[in-house]
Order: sequence, then C-alpha cells, then structure tokens
Amino acid sequence: MIVRREIEERIGRNISIGAVYATLERLEAKGYVSSFAGEPTPERGGRAKRLFRLEAAGKRALQVSEQTIRNMSAGLKRRWERI
Amino acid sequence: MRRNSPPAFACWLLESVIPVPYREAMLGDLIEEYTLRAESASPLAASRWFWSQAFRSVPSMVWSSLRSGDWLISMSTAMGVYIVMQIVEHAANLAISKLVAPQPTTEVLLAPVVFLTATSISGCIAARIRRGATTFLALMVMITVAVLIYLKACTIPVPWWYEFGFLTLGPLSVLLTPAVFGVPKPTC
Repeated sequence: MIVRREIEERIGRNISIGAVYATLERLEAKGYVSSFAGEPTPERGGRAKRLFRLEAAGKRALQVSEQTIRNMSAGLKRRWERI
Repeated sequence: MRRNSPPAFACWLLESVIPVPYREAMLGDLIEEYTLRAESASPLAASRWFWSQAFRSVPSMVWSSLRSGDWLISMSTAMGVYIVMQIVEHAANLAISKLVAPQPTTEVLLAPVVFLTATSISGCIAARIRRGATTFLALMVMITVAVLIYLKACTIPVPWWYEFGFLTLGPLSVLLTPAVFGVPKPTC
C-alpha cells in the first residue's frame, strides 16, 4: 500500500494495485528486490503484509537507470536550447 | 455486506484472479485502504474506489497468472469438472427423454433447466476446488454452446432467444452461482 501511495503522490495519478504487484513480482524474479511476510493485523482482515527490500543487484540496476535518465535529459536540454 | 466491509463480489473476483503468492498481501492492502477511505470519506466512495481497483487490477493479475503457469492448473481443473458435467448432463437428458416425456416440446422446456442446473453446480464445484477454474469453465461452456449453435445441433426448431439464452446464461451461471451462494465464502 505504501509503495502504491508513494508512486501516486509522485506521478500525480491513480494506479492500480495489480500493476504494482505485477511489477514487484517481476523485480523479485530478477533478484532486484526480495520480499517477506509481515504480521497479520485486524484492519487488514487478518491478512499479512508483504514487505519488500531492495537488494544489491536492484540498487546497481537503479543506479544505472538513473544515470541513463540523467544522460538522456542532458541531451534533451542541449537540443532544447538550440531551438 | 457488513458495515465497513468491502464489496463481497469484488473480493470474490479478485480472489479468483490474484496469483496465490500475492493474494493475502494484495487483498490485505485493499481492505486496509478501503477501511481508511470508508472512515475518512464515505462507505459508498470507498466501495467505488474498491471496485475501480478490482477492475483495473484484473488484466495485470491475469497476465501475471499466465506468466507464472497458474493458468495451467486452473484450466486442467476446469477441464475435469467440465467432462464430469457433460456426462451428468447427458445422463439427465437421456433419462428425461426416456422416462419423463419423449415429446420434443417437453424436451425443449426441460433442456434449459437441466443445462442451468448442471452449469451452476459445476461452477460451485470448480470454485471449491480452485477459484481461477470458474473463468475457464465459463469459457468452455460458452465455446461449446457457440459451436453447437453454429453446427445447428438442435434438430427441433427453436427461436433465436432460446439459443441466445443458453449462450449467455450458461457461462453466467458458472461464474455467478459460486459468488452468490458464497462457495467458497469471500474471506474479506
């Protein structure tokens, strides 16, 4: 729930919980994140939370992605300035 | 529906499509947020939000099930239930035509009753064995009826709405009977 809310706040639109879990499942299959079950609580109808942790491989992939986005943005800014 | 409890049918729909490893967590997240929204806004707004989440999550969850191979077990279950359903339905039709009344009019009147009873019961059985199997079973029923209509398997002349009833009510009874009678009960 926290992951979905954080994404919604950052991008400013509603996203489905199914899309979040499908993405997290793929990230876990790639070894970028790991998950474990939390304690069940009454406000969740007695269901356990699933907690996700970023793994070293995930951190590296995130750094690469972030650098790629930065490089792309820098190139875009140079082109904008020329127009 | 209990006070501040999410819509039962939406819960049932989600439980049918969410892959097992994430079912608990995902439904728990939705129920937790539903409760918060129902308390801060209104139960109606919270229900609307829950339904929108359920509908928007179905495609990604179905795709996720297909990727994980869950669908193969569900389809095998549906196939097994479907074969048993066909045998029972055939036996019932045979008994009716021989024992009750061999006239075509009676057969036309009794066929939908037998068909809908068979599809409803098989829907409940499939749901009890495996939630996701009901969707496949409904699809199998729909395809079979469509093929039979196309091949004009019914030798007795019947109006179009009679055949259309089989095509729509058959799959619907497979899907809705377990939801209406709570087999198995939605756990939220």
